[in-house]
Amino acid sequence: MRIVEETGFKVYSPSALKHFKAFGAKVDEETCLVKVPREKAMELIGKAPSVVTLCGQDERQDLVLGGKSVYTGTGGTALYVYRHETRERRLATLEDLKRIARLVDHLENIHLFLLPTYPNDLSVEVVDVNRFFAGLDNTRKHVMGGLYSLEGALQVVRMAEMVAGSPDRLRERPLVSMITCIVSPLKIDKQYGEFAVELAERGIPVVCPAEPLCGATSPVTVSGNVLMQTVDSLLGVMLTQIVNPGTPVVMGSVATSTDLRNLRYLAGSVEMGLANAAGAQMAQFYKVPFYATGGMTDSKVLDVQAGYESAITNLLCALAGSNFIHDSAGLMEFALTVCDEKYVVDNEILGMVMRAVQGIEVDEESLAVDLINAVGPGGNFVSTRHTRRFMRREHYFPTLSDRDTREEWEAKGAKVTWERAAERAREILAAEHHSIAPVVRKRVLSEIPGIVDKGNS
Amino acid sequence: MSEDIITLLRENVIQGRKTAEDEGIDADMSGPGVLELTNLAIEKGIPPAVIVKDGLTAGMHVVGEKFSKKEFFIPDMLASAEAVGAAMEILRPLLEGSGAQSKGKFAIATVKGDIHDIGKNIVATLLKGSGYDVVDLGIDVPTEKIVDYVRTQKPQILGLSALLTTTMVVMAEVIGALKEAGLRDSVKVVIGGAAVSQDYANEIGADAYCADAFEAVSVLENLVRA
Repeated sequence: MRIVEETGFKVYSPSALKHFKAFGAKVDEETCLVKVPREKAMELIGKAPSVVTLCGQDERQDLVLGGKSVYTGTGGTALYVYRHETRERRLATLEDLKRIARLVDHLENIHLFLLPTYPNDLSVEVVDVNRFFAGLDNTRKHVMGGLYSLEGALQVVRMAEMVAGSPDRLRERPLVSMITCIVSPLKIDKQYGEFAVELAERGIPVVCPAEPLCGATSPVTVSGNVLMQTVDSLLGVMLTQIVNPGTPVVMGSVATSTDLRNLRYLAGSVEMGLANAAGAQMAQFYKVPFYATGGMTDSKVLDVQAGYESAITNLLCALAGSNFIHDSAGLMEFALTVCDEKYVVDNEILGMVMRAVQGIEVDEESLAVDLINAVGPGGNFVSTRHTRRFMRREHYFPTLSDRDTREEWEAKGAKVTWERAAERAREILAAEHHSIAPVVRKRVLSEIPGIVDKGNS
Repeated sequence: MSEDIITLLRENVIQGRKTAEDEGIDADMSGPGVLELTNLAIEKGIPPAVIVKDGLTAGMHVVGEKFSKKEFFIPDMLASAEAVGAAMEILRPLLEGSGAQSKGKFAIATVKGDIHDIGKNIVATLLKGSGYDVVDLGIDVPTEKIVDYVRTQKPQILGLSALLTTTMVVMAEVIGALKEAGLRDSVKVVIGGAAVSQDYANEIGADAYCADAFEAVSVLENLVRA
């Protein structure tokens, strides 16, 4: 809070600056430097809802962000797609985005679809509508995404209102949410500032993550990085609450470290896991829902490094009670690239992670003292009713991992993890479907300009 | 009515509900279990052979299928087998009265030096549920005791179990001792356990290897028929 009060922050968005001024912050119009007294800052943060519900088109996919609840989702925005089978990387297209949405729709441990790729085959004016349409039309999970133009963002809001049924219905059940980044250190950029103001005015859930990099855009220490990230993200929270008190907002962190031998951004470092876990705890202190970043890798291929970096950062974020872990599946190569098979592999990691989050239930029935007494020394628990009662819900059952004997595994073709993942991806993608009802779909396509739909059906 | 009882019996075998108090796999399953339904079927005059074939065995068949699809776990399979085994206890005297026979006498032991019994117990339970007259000789059973048992009680089939690579060699010793006593041809020897394999069964001259309890059921069917 001393930073917000004494150091201040720069606001390059004219409308955001106007709002801070009207609120009574100390504003230097020439340098765009804003200072907010700590009491006022705390008052604004207190207005932000402590729980934000992000809805899916399917109500069973609703996510209640707040407290220590944990959900996972994809992330981006990647420029490339890597095919493990051919070991090739190419530029991502709109079709890739649709395919990944369909894949994620079926992966049970990925709860939210954050638009993961940039469609390089489209011009920038139509990117926003096409990205969100690809999401809404191919998965019934909640769709979150970054934005590329204000006009595009407003078209997306119109489209989401149609899919939800009406503007009011969208506010009741937000099917989409949008990301407006804060630029670390201490800067609200022109375009992102405008986005935040416009979206907050319309009551659309907004995430305002900051991306401080240790030793580059934040102090090199993990604690300094967490402080930077917390303050930066709170700037976004404050702005939305000035614009529209009570509007849903989520604090966010994309904090990570850099390799100071070459100033390279890192996506799989253990410090990234630590910083995001601590960020979650800070958000819990301020009682604002939190968006963390974990589950990525710096590896270029689907290898052992891809597995361990993704697992460690996801687990750290999850055990700290990060309400939503973004980037938790599919990403590799410093978040530049996505890979179908990696979504399936990460889905398995996230299944294990979510089991860890569930923790250990301890009560009389789970401790089973009476049962131990009844079975007695030298007995076994294989055939007891207690085992049957608990075995399915107490233990996570892998959908991808190999637990066969060597003989069984060889008999099934001795397939390694990525080969089994590729098989599951192929099975899922065999069926095509539209999530948006045909009538609504037709209306969206005729009223929202610029959507590319093969065959226009 | 008799159709309904048999259908219900089959369903309860699949659910693994021995008695009315038992939970099945579906939490809302209630009403009479396998034992109550077996008694009811007898009361209604359904022939014991029909109860066994269309109720118990047909139910176990479904359990076997679900088990091999990994939908059912070992504890599910055991609960079903236990229920069927208990029903068979009630039905056996009636079956004998009607001239129907037990499938045969099966003796099972964990060999000398090995105290692991979970696998052996599972096989025993399942074979009992499949209509065999099962005698469990226990764990760490000395070779002489096994040979004595074969000599005096004349089981058709002898099952040997070992978990450890260090104790599986005792299986060969048992087969050798049976040969020496001139008893090898009087009994079929089947082996199972984590350490052993089909190759090992061939090597020591066992009649068959069973990878798991359900395989034991089908292996025994073939041996008895042969």
